[in-house]
Amino acid sequence: MNMEALKYVWEGSIPLQIHIHESEVTTVPAPPPALILAPRIGYLPLLASRIKPYFSGTLPPGVDTIWFEYNGLPLKWYIPTGVLFDLLCAQPERPWNLTVHFRGYPGNILIPCEGEDSVKWSFINSLKEASYIISGNCKNVMNMSQPDQEELWRSVLNGNLDGYLRVSSKLKLGIIGDQHIAASHLNSLKSWQSIGETDTTGQVKTGRVPVRLYVWCVGEDFDDFEDAPHIDAWEKISYINQPVEIQGEGKCFTLGDALKFLLPEYFRENSLIDEESSEAKGENEQKGSSEDAGGNVRDKDGEGLCENENSFQSVEAEIKLVRIQGIEPKLEIPFSWVVSNLINPEHFLHICVCVKVPQLTPYAM
Amino acid sequence: MSSTESPSSVRKVVVHLRATGDAPILKQAKFKILGTDKFAKVIDFLRRQLHRETLFVYVNSAFSPNPDESVIDLYNNFGFDGKLVVNYACSMAWG
Repeated sequence: MNMEALKYVWEGSIPLQIHIHESEVTTVPAPPPALILAPRIGYLPLLASRIKPYFSGTLPPGVDTIWFEYNGLPLKWYIPTGVLFDLLCAQPERPWNLTVHFRGYPGNILIPCEGEDSVKWSFINSLKEASYIISGNCKNVMNMSQPDQEELWRSVLNGNLDGYLRVSSKLKLGIIGDQHIAASHLNSLKSWQSIGETDTTGQVKTGRVPVRLYVWCVGEDFDDFEDAPHIDAWEKISYINQPVEIQGEGKCFTLGDALKFLLPEYFRENSLIDEESSEAKGENEQKGSSEDAGGNVRDKDGEGLCENENSFQSVEAEIKLVRIQGIEPKLEIPFSWVVSNLINPEHFLHICVCVKVPQLTPYAM
Repeated sequence: MSSTESPSSVRKVVVHLRATGDAPILKQAKFKILGTDKFAKVIDFLRRQLHRETLFVYVNSAFSPNPDESVIDLYNNFGFDGKLVVNYACSMAWG
């Protein structure tokens, strides 16, 4: 039953309409855009071999270094394609119109990328980082045989879920209380019993989930995402790399709980999680505390005036959108399910959040 | 960024640079940098100090973080004993 969810994630794609930047067109007429279906769990530079043939005839002399841009924003190549789409296209645009460049790499904005090798290096290191968070070390990844490591990477390149599960199960990177993955594919589940238990490799599970959180704060109100301001600089996005520890029994800790932990400043007493109607409910209308119990305290531009109003109608910060793998999951869903099924192949859960803050100036990191 | 409301944003992180393999050892190996700085700053510093373009830089002898990661996140997740241990090598140490 849950293999289905994993399959949806792995088969998920973004239809791209890729235009070559006009400064790199030397022929008349300009070549038409390339239409490419990009895997959500993949990375844009990996599409280079499919895209280049469309445009190689028109490029000016020079060395090709591919990079992509959306609405003037150079795209960070190490962020999975699906995450870029979820984050930058609040109102999903299909096909997604991107501009490709082969010259003029913006080294001041993007870290260097030398093709597939750079992407693979980034992927393997993220996997090690995730492993470190989950197990306290990354011996399991470092001890992978060369053929296994190669097969793991190939399976991601080719979107081969079965091949991926075959190799990744050896890494024993499942989370605590992980009863949601089909046992037939992961029979090493037996070693994941409880927090702190040492498994057969002597590794102790920390119970922590690797999370990459992207928060886009908008200062102005809007009804539709179509009207939302465009993200024209990476400074407008707050990126947070913070693991979430699943508290208590897996099934009781929800996605909402995880978000409360990650972004305590945006959750008040009258919590968004309840999702009640905006009419007065006779609940306490106390002003939300400015500091919550949760881990790190982030910049709180979101503190507005709260004067005995229900949180939906107050001028406090409001979470407008939570998107994971292109879907907006209900916050009541058990976090362990979200992690098991919506996680990316490098074992990070990427969460895109849009917050409306009662400011006039955009949030700056 | 506001310096009074969120101490973590102006907090400095102690970075301990450790040579690996035949990489030269730095005279001064401990530094403090702003938590909001990116890991790229540590990498660039090492490149300048060692006069080398090609360097492999790791955290806790384990993995190479993305240069865009903020030092404070890396410290929060992987630091211990009040510091972030960064290992550097001239050739790939932990492939």
